[in-house]
Amino acid sequence: MSSVAFGSLTGRLRRTPLRRNLIGGLIGLVIVILVLESVSPFRQGQFATMAYLGIAVGGLTVLTGLNGQLSLGHGALMAVGAYTAALMLHNVEKPLPLPVIMLLSVLVTVVVGAVVGVAAARLHGPYIAGATLAMAVAVPGIASFFGDTLGGEQGLSVSTPEAPGWFADAVYFLTAHDITGTKYLAYIGWIGLIISFVLLANLSASRVGRTWRAVRDDEVAAELAGINVGRARVKAFVVSAACAGLAGSVMAMVVRIAAPSGFTLTLSLSLLTAVVLGGLGSLVGALIGAGLLTFLPQTVTGLGQSLGLTDLQSAQLAPLVYGLTLVLVILLAPAGLVGTIRNAWRRRQSPDTGSIHPQQEATP
Amino acid sequence: MLDIRDLTTSYGPVKALDGVTFTAPKGKITAVLGANGAGKTTLLRTVSGLIRPDRGSVHLDGQDLARMPAEKMPGLGLAHVPEGRGVITELTVEENLRLGGLGRADRSRPADFDRVYSIFPLLNDRRNAIAHVLSGGERQMLVIGRALMAEPKVLLLDEPSLGLAPRAVAQIFELVRGLAESDGLTVVLVEQNARSALSIADIGVVLNLGRLVAQDEATALAADVKLRHAYLGF
Amino acid sequence: MQQLLTTSLTGLTLGMVYAAFALALVLIWRSTRIVNFAQAPMAMITTYVALVVVDAGMSYWIGFVAALLSGLVLGAVIERVVIRPVEGKPEINAIILTLGLFVVIHAVAAIIFGSGFRSFPAPFGLRGFQAGGVTIALTGFAVFTICSVVVVMLLLVALFHHTDVGLKMRASAFNQEVSRMLGVKVTRMLTLGWALAAVVGSLSGLLIAGGNLVYPSYMDSVVVYGFVAAVLGGLDSPVGAVVGGLLLGLGLSFVSGYVGSDLVALASLAILIVVLLVRPAGLFSHATARTV
Repeated sequence: MSSVAFGSLTGRLRRTPLRRNLIGGLIGLVIVILVLESVSPFRQGQFATMAYLGIAVGGLTVLTGLNGQLSLGHGALMAVGAYTAALMLHNVEKPLPLPVIMLLSVLVTVVVGAVVGVAAARLHGPYIAGATLAMAVAVPGIASFFGDTLGGEQGLSVSTPEAPGWFADAVYFLTAHDITGTKYLAYIGWIGLIISFVLLANLSASRVGRTWRAVRDDEVAAELAGINVGRARVKAFVVSAACAGLAGSVMAMVVRIAAPSGFTLTLSLSLLTAVVLGGLGSLVGALIGAGLLTFLPQTVTGLGQSLGLTDLQSAQLAPLVYGLTLVLVILLAPAGLVGTIRNAWRRRQSPDTGSIHPQQEATP
Repeated sequence: MLDIRDLTTSYGPVKALDGVTFTAPKGKITAVLGANGAGKTTLLRTVSGLIRPDRGSVHLDGQDLARMPAEKMPGLGLAHVPEGRGVITELTVEENLRLGGLGRADRSRPADFDRVYSIFPLLNDRRNAIAHVLSGGERQMLVIGRALMAEPKVLLLDEPSLGLAPRAVAQIFELVRGLAESDGLTVVLVEQNARSALSIADIGVVLNLGRLVAQDEATALAADVKLRHAYLGF
Repeated sequence: MQQLLTTSLTGLTLGMVYAAFALALVLIWRSTRIVNFAQAPMAMITTYVALVVVDAGMSYWIGFVAALLSGLVLGAVIERVVIRPVEGKPEINAIILTLGLFVVIHAVAAIIFGSGFRSFPAPFGLRGFQAGGVTIALTGFAVFTICSVVVVMLLLVALFHHTDVGLKMRASAFNQEVSRMLGVKVTRMLTLGWALAAVVGSLSGLLIAGGNLVYPSYMDSVVVYGFVAAVLGGLDSPVGAVVGGLLLGLGLSFVSGYVGSDLVALASLAILIVVLLVRPAGLFSHATARTV
């Protein structure tokens, strides 16, 4: 696929991807309304969870799939968003309007993401993995350290915001149903997801997206073509951080708390599993991955209990499945999933360019 | 002697070697010549087990080496000095030599450092130097010495003259000549520099696009002006 | 003054353990160009093996040996079965693979051994001693820690620089193809490298556990500290791993003592960023590139 041909094509039909994505978003909204109105409150809560996970996974898959940067620390970025939202919703009489809170969460996370992104832009391979891993491990500690403002180990409780009158009216008008707290959050989450996915899809199809792919595939060639590699990488990181921040703010409201225990390394690794499973760079895949993260644990835990495992043991089956997924995908289908970002990971960091590995050569 | 029959190797659809057949006699130097991309290096790499051939055989002392992995070769008496020399630059000179000796077939006697140090006194002087600091000519001596540590019957040399000054080249070639004669070593010498190669070789084999196009005594090949112009560049 | 001494000694002791873990990471990096993020849960699970042995009534030392032996086997099996397919392939495969292993081993440990906190014995005592009115915060166990790491390092040096196997392993790490041509069974050396690294990793697991609580996540931060220490010293340099470990141990101990223990992980992240921005190849990087 030549990016030159693609460029002239989108140049002429510039509005088409935008229009297509907007239409897709609208259709998605309709589906969301239909689904949310017809399921139980418990399922609505699950869908709310799926929404915020989807936002985070979407941002991460764009970062890793399109731009080739591996981040193990997006759980930590979600924490930033969550704590920001929690601070504005904890013990506050009249909280700010929800969109404002979410926007502020995004902004704060974007700032943090920019700082981290600048540092990460120069790192490759295991170095960026290790650095973001360190980030994932370090952030819960910060919350504990500033225990007074950030609630320490117990975290900050978050009161569910009430749906504003006009929203409740609109929902009633469209669906003849009342709005509950859970359903409101589910709507918020999915509207957030649709908006961010439309934006991500547009970015992906735009010149920015092409720049990201170029950087992923061959940094040297990209530099020679006049692309500022560092800036492109930071941009991608910031965009994914914005998604993580938005996801975190929704998460705080759904889970009703922002605490260090909610942002373990497992969260970051689960996000990565969703990305790998869904296919690097694919937004649809991100949605599928988020769905699995939401609905799989229950199924798997039930399976464990029926096999005679204790509750605690069954709870571990979900992470076990995630880990096995990562291992099996890499061992059984590596080219399909990661072939697209293969070139971005050429060994440039170490001076070892002379070592050749035993490979099967020649024979067809 | 090394008996190569119908050796064929492909990289995907491209045949890098196509039905190559010749014999490298014991105690003689067989020069393998041809332009870039003719398949000379592929030939050596196939013989030494780094590449699996599609078909064909490589017989040494009655054994067919053709599909054996590279690790087995020193134990069977075959040493390969690769293109670019293959010095392990992070190890010392002596460590490189010792490593070579670990591959030898006859472990009943200790590795013969004395012999190699007497052939290459320079290596003796610099035995504890990190190999990285050696010059091109010194490195070439090191890798040949390293190959000799395995007490081989067959020595495959890939472009030893690459990057060396003419005097160093002459030295190396003279040395190889002497080894072939004194040890009865079967030497297969791949060279771009056909003229020098033919001057010390006994037999010459010319490859073009993977096929063997000529095989004769070295003196005969050197005298064949048409052939030289067509395939050897001089 | 007292606090300075205590902080330094604690830092030194911890630094030795980080050095050991960093050494395990460097060993694997050198031979297979992979950062084994799964080293932490591998060490954790071998420590649980020791715990099982000790709980069954046997002596600490039998548990100790059991942990090291299970580490040896675990490292070899993982390399042979799981890692071998991705050696030589693009890096990201190995990274995701080791992360997957990380999660799997974690979950398996939690299922088999439970997520609760268990205490772990520490031989030689956990009290410091007095010298001239000053309490020296060097417990018997700390001395054991330092000594055992030093012994392991000396053994590794002896192995790598004075044995044939060690020479083959180093050669395989530096240049696989040439080593094969010289008769070295490179794949076997890689397996051996992982096995040895896992033993060293298991040792750090045991040393961290001594006198502390063991639970499935207890080694997680150590992989971060070990990685930072290895990067600080230079991923290619075993000496660097040791020096990096000691420096990091001291640095983090001071952060913990004078700022707050919650910020230790953040401090290590800061150190990592600084190193990667200022001197990415580490303190002891070989200036010589690998040429032939």
